Amino acid sequence: MSRAKLSFPSVEWFNAVRKEFNTDEEFHRRGAGHCNCVAGVKVGDDVFVLTFEGQECTSVEQSGELALADADFYMSMDAVDWQEMLANISKHGHAVGDYTLNTLDLNRFDGLATSVHGDQFREDMFFRFNQTLQFFFDASSRIDTRFG
Amino acid sequence: MAEVAPQNQNVDMDLEWMDKTGSWDTNAEPGRNGLTLADIQIGDYGEIPDYSRNLSGRPRGSAPRPDSMRLGNYTVREKSEIWMDNASFLYEEALQRQWSSATDVPWETIEPLPDDVEQAQCQMATFLTEVEFVAGDVPSRWVAKTSPDFFEARQVLLAQVNDESRHMDVFRKRALANGGGLMRSTGSTAGFVGGIDLSRDFTEMSSRLHISGEGAVLTIFRMGELMAYNDAEKTIYRLCAQDEARHVAFGVMHMRYMSEHAPERRDEIHSYLDEAEGGLLTSAANPAGTLNQTSESLAILLGGGIKKFDEGWRKLVAIRRRQLMEYKKRVISAGFGERFENGRSRLTEIMEQAAA
Repeated sequence: MSRAKLSFPSVEWFNAVRKEFNTDEEFHRRGAGHCNCVAGVKVGDDVFVLTFEGQECTSVEQSGELALADADFYMSMDAVDWQEMLANISKHGHAVGDYTLNTLDLNRFDGLATSVHGDQFREDMFFRFNQTLQFFFDASSRIDTRFG
Repeated sequence: MAEVAPQNQNVDMDLEWMDKTGSWDTNAEPGRNGLTLADIQIGDYGEIPDYSRNLSGRPRGSAPRPDSMRLGNYTVREKSEIWMDNASFLYEEALQRQWSSATDVPWETIEPLPDDVEQAQCQMATFLTEVEFVAGDVPSRWVAKTSPDFFEARQVLLAQVNDESRHMDVFRKRALANGGGLMRSTGSTAGFVGGIDLSRDFTEMSSRLHISGEGAVLTIFRMGELMAYNDAEKTIYRLCAQDEARHVAFGVMHMRYMSEHAPERRDEIHSYLDEAEGGLLTSAANPAGTLNQTSESLAILLGGGIKKFDEGWRKLVAIRRRQLMEYKKRVISAGFGERFENGRSRLTEIMEQAAA
């Protein structure tokens, strides 16, 4: 567990998760592994762009809404919904029940994952790399997170 | 003591094979993904012929052997018939993202379920085992028919066969893991799904299998997380969905390539899509469609038991609409979207029926 509490959402928070994710072999096995995509994360009005290359998440950038056009897909929820998901992950060490990314996507009328371009081939990367994305957020259980 | 002859002195060696008849001084270097097939597509070795005359199984880039007998009965010899731009990436992705149905599924999380729920789960497991047989058998036949000059595409198909093999075994394992067993064979493989195996051409097969069939099953796998009753079932469905999405990507990218390089075949491909929309996506061959064994099972699982069937059915209808919408967007992505504009496709009408 990181010592200092990191604020979600922030580049510092995502970088701390990225470090945990990149350095633990457990996150690169069991159906995970090579993942090449650009994923957006939209928390309310805040936008972050995560780049995955090979076995690593190689960069996180905070951007404006326009940057989502370049993402293969982006995951969008209100801050309170992200907070609930991360609280579930923190409690169990990984997402359980209704808080896995795929279940969140299925339970929402417009889905969790979408895109600006509407290209289903690129949107399908959310499914193709789902276990990697899940492991990435599961790694946040090791981060001491504060919200707001 | 007998005299020992100096090594090699009395041996008549034929070192003709050491003549460097292929390109030499190649130095492929690994990138962030390791040393991938894409990294070795360099120089002559990266040149893929538009038409293959290689009938001897000669590895692409190696020197031909003029006196070689014909080895393979390769019917797929035109690049546009099987190629896609991302073959090498999909192959590496498939190998990297493998999983074991024996050890990567938390089987210990399965606990006894109410009889109706267990029966529905076992019926779906029976159905999925059945259709995955087709999904494994069909691409495997096309591997041996494809020229080794297009080995990247063959490798993707071989990886798919391995994926489907795992899907067959994991659903069989689920059926036998919790006090239930296999249930009734649905017969769905006798209709459109079985017809995939009658395809005379790779693109015909791919449009039926990858775009229509696996696209529909991908939605089922994804919604598996909504009808899972433990972490084991959630894991099974999520990991199967990843594999299935990769197979769908193969189909979309192949159709894009075919459309760009053999536009004279576009109308023919539309006819396969007509057939799929009329046959698979709306009929008994669709597990979320009108086949009672699977649609009722799905509704029971989604609702939480036979007494909550109506609630489950409402969820199923919403998912069926999503299944059709995703299919439509994939066809657009593959470059055949005009069918939804010019009245050729009945999908919008079908989606309205599904909603009703």
